[in-house]
Amino acid sequence: MSRICAKTFFFSLLLVGIALSPNRAVVDEVGRRVVLPEHPHRIISLSPSITEILFSLGLEERIVGVSNHSDFPPQALAKPRVGSYINPSLEQVISLNPDLILASAAGNPREFVERMENLGFSVYTVFPKDFDGILRSISHIAAITGGKHRGAMVVQEMRMRKERILHLTRGRKRPKVFLQIGTSPIVTVGKGSFADDLISLAGGENIAGGERVKYPRYSIEEVLVKAPDIVIITSMDPRADSHMLAKHWNQWKTIPAVKHGRIYVIDSDLIDLPSPRIVDGLEAIAGILHPEIREILRNQ
Amino acid sequence: MIVNPKRIIAICSLLFCLLLGIILLSLSLGAARVGTAHVLRILTYHAIHSGIPAGPEDLIILSVRLPRILLAGLVGAALAVAGCSFQALLRNPLADPYILGVSSGSALGAVSAILVGLSTASFGMPLASFFGAIVTVMLVFHVGKVGRGLHTNTLLLAGVIISAFFSAIIMFLISVAQNEDLSKIVFWLMGDFSFSTYHFILIILPYVLGGIAVLYSYARGFNLIVMGEETAVQLGIDVERLKKIAYVFASLITAAAVSVCGLIGFVGLIIPHAVRMLFGPDHRLLIPASALVGASFLICSDTIARTIAAPMELPVGAVTATFGAPFFIYLLKRRKV
Repeated sequence: MSRICAKTFFFSLLLVGIALSPNRAVVDEVGRRVVLPEHPHRIISLSPSITEILFSLGLEERIVGVSNHSDFPPQALAKPRVGSYINPSLEQVISLNPDLILASAAGNPREFVERMENLGFSVYTVFPKDFDGILRSISHIAAITGGKHRGAMVVQEMRMRKERILHLTRGRKRPKVFLQIGTSPIVTVGKGSFADDLISLAGGENIAGGERVKYPRYSIEEVLVKAPDIVIITSMDPRADSHMLAKHWNQWKTIPAVKHGRIYVIDSDLIDLPSPRIVDGLEAIAGILHPEIREILRNQ
Repeated sequence: MIVNPKRIIAICSLLFCLLLGIILLSLSLGAARVGTAHVLRILTYHAIHSGIPAGPEDLIILSVRLPRILLAGLVGAALAVAGCSFQALLRNPLADPYILGVSSGSALGAVSAILVGLSTASFGMPLASFFGAIVTVMLVFHVGKVGRGLHTNTLLLAGVIISAFFSAIIMFLISVAQNEDLSKIVFWLMGDFSFSTYHFILIILPYVLGGIAVLYSYARGFNLIVMGEETAVQLGIDVERLKKIAYVFASLITAAAVSVCGLIGFVGLIIPHAVRMLFGPDHRLLIPASALVGASFLICSDTIARTIAAPMELPVGAVTATFGAPFFIYLLKRRKV
């Protein structure tokens, strides 16, 4: 009898323990109050960049689901998919029974986030707008997942590499850059995009930097008038596409970039995903803009 | 051509049972695996006990799948009955719920709502699209009015022209839209049930059921009007009144349906034809049978849309035509021989 009593006692203790398992409230990057478990261990990432951040923080074991195009690092391919970035699957997310869902305000539908919250799930939304914003998002994700120390290391390294680029390019002539992200129609990057921020951090002048739209369409006439010194084209597969993409520009001989053969192709994942790899993108762009510092960058 | 009431009741009960079966089947299919027996257990449990659903499976069945299935059913019924009424009203086999421009008006409303950021407000999109649809209905009505009556060919032309005009504005808006908005617009234009909630169902339920009831009460009038307006007049039908009522209520239920899920094509065109081929042209049977078959068809299409490439979801509009067209062709061929 007493043993049964003791068992019941311990069992109720356990229940109380579960009920009181520490929760805390934080405010996410879009200003919403979110109640989270102290140590989330079933995390779902709704965007490829968040998946990269989670892996960089060493949280692989705790990820139970990722958005469809999460393909970096390669280990992410082994995680269950929960639908695309712009159209995640409600039931797939629910069935994985997450205790923390990480969303991005830039692309995940707001209705989805609200719906998950109404169903009682914790959804933390990040909304980085520039390079420093990405560093903040990484720190925030590290803080809410209990990986503050690792987060500080990742952020510290990225910040150091950025400072080095700023230092190396200070005082140098700032070339005019045209960055092309779409071929037909021609689409470039304007104010508020990550790539625009990267160009100016890397010591260049984005010729479309005055456009208030993030990804403005651009006419070839406009490019001819602005006469960029450098053309950078983004591609999902730079090795395969570079020749074809560069050839396309050769008919516009009056553009300085064409005249001097300064047309480059860059991996689009490095410059438009708000993930730790953005610092690689920054170094790549700095190397394109200022070939003289390339050697220094390579040696470190 | 006139069927007896017993046959109507028998066929409709049969179709209703079919609909229930399809609902149950759809509830147990999806990205997450939940068996039919378990679905039944969850349904009966929550029918008796009220309160918050417990496990993830309860949540999936009751808060994700059930509202979605019910909404698809309601929209399917609305579009099928609206199509049926327009085909009778315009005496044109090509007529569907969108033929008089309701779709372009509601699309313009929804697209504008997305672009000005109204879509983030709750019910912003449904309200804007409903408003756009109603404005279009009034516009087409005024253009199509000849003297005191409605002239069907003028009405048709008015609908086509106003549609073309609104489509042009939509195309312009799409060309200036940014990526994030663009994907929202595309999903809306192809029809999307993924964010269905019980609120949406409650909002459109009175419009759809009320509209169907009103249209059904004029079933005899429809039967006569399809034989020719003069015949109907001679038989004592107030044809002008009937046409106006049919036009207003069929447009209203279309607007209500479209406002919660975007443009879903094909249902309103082929379901009335299919039902007519199967059960004959009497509107007293045609209207309720179209509603039931339309509901079943759209639930099936949406289930295919959300399961065939899970966890990706296809636009339901693509599924309705892909699977509906071959079936319709089969019906057409069978009738000829």
